[in-house]
Amino acid sequence: MKLNLRRLPEYLVIWVPLLLAAGQIVTFALWTTWISFTSATLMPSGDWVGLKNYTNVLATRNWKIAFDNLLIFGFGFVVLTALTGLFLAILLDQRIRGENVLRSIFLYPLALSFVVTGTAWSWLLNPGMGVQKLVNDLGWTGFRFDWLVDRDMAIWTIVIAGIWQSSGFAMALFLAGLRSVEPDLVKAAQIDGAGPFRLYTRVILPSLWPIVIAVMVILIQTAIRTFDLVRALTGGGPGIATQLPALVVYDFMFQRGQLGRGSAAAVLMLLTLAAVLLPYGIWKYVQRRRAANA
Amino acid sequence: MASGNMSNAGVPPMRDRSWGRVAVYVVVWALAVGYLVPFGVVLLNSFRTAEEIAQTSMIGWPTNWVFGNYTAAWATYCIAQTCSGIQPYMWNSALVTVPATILSTLLGAVAGYSISLWRFRGDAWIFGLVTMGVFLPEQMRLIPWTIVLRDLGMTNTIAGLVMIHTIQGLSFTTLFCRNYYVAIPVDLMKAARIDGAGFFRIFWRIVLPLSPPILIVTVIWQFTHIWNEFLYGVTFTTGQQQPVTAALIALSASVADVPQHGIQSAAVVVAALPTLLVYLFGGRYFVRGLTAGAVK
Amino acid sequence: MQKIRRRSVLAGAAGMLAMPKLGRAQAAKPRLTAISQWSAGSDGAAISALGKKFEERGGIWQHSPVPGFTTEMMNKLRAQILSGDPPACSQLKGPEIAAWSKIAPTVNLDAIVAAAGYEKVVAPDLARLHKPGGKWAALPLQIYRTNTLFVSKRGLDRAKADKLPTTWAEFNTLADKMQASGMKYPISNGGSRADDGQKFEACLAGISPAAYRAAIMNLDAKALKGPEMLAAFVQLRKIANWMDPNTAAQPYAVHLPKLIAGEMGMMIQGGWAQGVLLNAGFKLDDFIIAPGPTDNGKPVFILNADAFIFWQRKEADLQEGQKLMAELVMQPAIQTMYSQITGSIPVRTDVDLSGPGWSDGQREAAKTLKDAVAANQVVLSLAHNMAQENGMTAAMIDVLTEYVKDRTITPEKAVTRLTEAVEGAR
Repeated sequence: MKLNLRRLPEYLVIWVPLLLAAGQIVTFALWTTWISFTSATLMPSGDWVGLKNYTNVLATRNWKIAFDNLLIFGFGFVVLTALTGLFLAILLDQRIRGENVLRSIFLYPLALSFVVTGTAWSWLLNPGMGVQKLVNDLGWTGFRFDWLVDRDMAIWTIVIAGIWQSSGFAMALFLAGLRSVEPDLVKAAQIDGAGPFRLYTRVILPSLWPIVIAVMVILIQTAIRTFDLVRALTGGGPGIATQLPALVVYDFMFQRGQLGRGSAAAVLMLLTLAAVLLPYGIWKYVQRRRAANA
Repeated sequence: MASGNMSNAGVPPMRDRSWGRVAVYVVVWALAVGYLVPFGVVLLNSFRTAEEIAQTSMIGWPTNWVFGNYTAAWATYCIAQTCSGIQPYMWNSALVTVPATILSTLLGAVAGYSISLWRFRGDAWIFGLVTMGVFLPEQMRLIPWTIVLRDLGMTNTIAGLVMIHTIQGLSFTTLFCRNYYVAIPVDLMKAARIDGAGFFRIFWRIVLPLSPPILIVTVIWQFTHIWNEFLYGVTFTTGQQQPVTAALIALSASVADVPQHGIQSAAVVVAALPTLLVYLFGGRYFVRGLTAGAVK
Repeated sequence: MQKIRRRSVLAGAAGMLAMPKLGRAQAAKPRLTAISQWSAGSDGAAISALGKKFEERGGIWQHSPVPGFTTEMMNKLRAQILSGDPPACSQLKGPEIAAWSKIAPTVNLDAIVAAAGYEKVVAPDLARLHKPGGKWAALPLQIYRTNTLFVSKRGLDRAKADKLPTTWAEFNTLADKMQASGMKYPISNGGSRADDGQKFEACLAGISPAAYRAAIMNLDAKALKGPEMLAAFVQLRKIANWMDPNTAAQPYAVHLPKLIAGEMGMMIQGGWAQGVLLNAGFKLDDFIIAPGPTDNGKPVFILNADAFIFWQRKEADLQEGQKLMAELVMQPAIQTMYSQITGSIPVRTDVDLSGPGWSDGQREAAKTLKDAVAANQVVLSLAHNMAQENGMTAAMIDVLTEYVKDRTITPEKAVTRLTEAVEGAR
């Protein structure tokens, strides 16, 4: 007893923050799930309506478009940002002059809010005033870069701006990884006569695997939460072509005053995420078990 | 990690053929220029007059450079009918961002330390739950937080915002710190315990001195995210307490009907300075902190 | 003894509590906590001016404008209501007044409104919106017409036309003429959702205000599939084809320089565009303001109004403040001041607009409103959240904005989609 009391501060320090953080997440998620089964509109209260909100949300074009977009955007953004980051990291790893300056340049977009940069991007990508106009004015009048107003391509403009913002972070992680590769490993490969390309593909990149996972986690959460960017860049348009689940959730909950439906959309979004993350979690768990047993 | 040398540890550069080197430089600088453009557009606009922008284009080189936008943005520009510039709002943002960053980083460090080095029953579960937090969009948490603030009597207070950002931030900070501390050799811990050191002593004497790299990463991350946060800042504060992101939204062209783009761009540049500086000066430590093991 | 002492102490205590309260009630200085959407433009200036008037009358004006979109303002309002601390008064408009008045008690303004004889001078459709359950809970502040036609003087000259279009057929002829004169995009537009919705409502109400009322305002299932709806979508497609497709999500203001220069010809916009044009440095002789085209020869007025709703508060000073605010908002002088700043027209139909502070456009709009009220051709704007609650509005605008941006959607398909959207949002 005496011992326990003496260790009380330590228990408090361990558990209070963790329980607050975990408790908040669990209650908020459960609360949202509860609301998603009610007829709540402007205020978080209402009668039980079963799955009505879910069927309703699933039937809207907004949700269908948003869901398709999440797949395109999620995949495009995560993969391309990771590749861009890796490319930048490899470039910076070539013992080049001015690395500090360059690293800062690639990282700075992370410091800025999309409320700001989304607007700047919307000017740049606008065919009437941005890149297309510039190139046209320079004399290449046939040049077209009008993805922003093209229903099928508009989602890719969000991918572009997203890559710009997040690739610096991926770069930093990969650069960190490249620099912690075992020198012996590299030397051995060099002695075997491996060229730079082989060296990267066979020796260095495979050792980056854990970093790839870390990058993916950060990028997936960014993709899922992408909101300000779309609002500032396309406003969800042209039409409703660039809706994303986070926007639909916010739109239903607050703009349309349909908390129940918005909550249902939020739960659907989290379920989608779980469908992606759970297999990874299980795989990791099994792996750890195996390692422990081995 | 003792040395501050940022050169690569073991990977040799691509072979020193001069053409290859030139190509690397050309590509990397071309990309760098591309990365600078979006903010560059805003930066240039901050030196143009509103008339010039309205009558030509949002994108353009200043025909005659004006610097008055900055003084106006800082001290006299009318935001929400109070003509005090963004100065007071910068201060508000700092009042929220600094305490919330420090608190969430420290608590996250302790939490990461206890999860990674003091394995206890249920640690994996609670870590999993806390980590889930990084995936919950903040729009979803808006109303629950409203209710929590009401029940705690913290509506419309800076303290309320600090609390929200601290608790939400714990997801990231715990994740970062735990992953970093996992790499601390178990032997170090064992030796310390045999010497009779307790929870706090080990944290203070062994773990904290090893932590600067990861603490810098978490501080940078938290600082930028809280500084740039808009939704809670606008919903949970009132009038003169609003954060500077409230001033930033002014640049969003769809809101203002007669945009004062020159002054607004200057306001944006000023409001972005703290986070930009954090990255500029913290950037080198950022990569170093990550190199030291945060990502394993 | 003890009893008496206790009683006297109690009485004294009660007195202590009551006294200052009484004193405060007598001298309650009117105070008003208000939230509104923050606007950088003339709307912001107008609210500030209103605040000055409030202070001149001895009140304490505590206004917190909320930056962002309307949604952010509603978030703020919801948070305050949930915390049991609603503002004494807040901006809210259209059917949302009725919806929100169900979730928190509002002030019954009937006595103040009756004392001012206000109801007689407000358009009946508009009054109805501000009287949820038959009691005045909110007061409209200013009116805009959303189907206002702005015609570029230089554009008109360039097309060698001298007559303003009054029907859709004339409008189409003029637009064709403008295009033939070398104008690439005769119709100046913005890219926002509200912009697209506004074009549609101008088409439908111009074709048939009765159909508009039935389909859009009353959501009559038959009217939603009626021939007028189809005709409106056909007209909307024509307009969409004359617009600059490269506008993306930019506000309509980006094209104003081109409109004035005659590189674009016409713009269907709300009356607020006048203030924006003047603020951008253009002159009143650069453009002509006219009513939107109508096919039945009588004026059609699509109405958009800003309003303040009053939330119940117990504090004596706030109650006084609400009274003062309500009085001010109804005064012709205040409405004149407000509209002259923003370019809107007063809610009161008895305000004289012949004075020098008014523009021809405002005079014309006010006259059209009067005539349209007489002809029963005033309808409420869908695009600006006056016709339906936000959920329904957003569902309908989804269809309209997709239609404008996607030429492969036929008018017939659009009619079907709109009906489906209405069903889904009910």
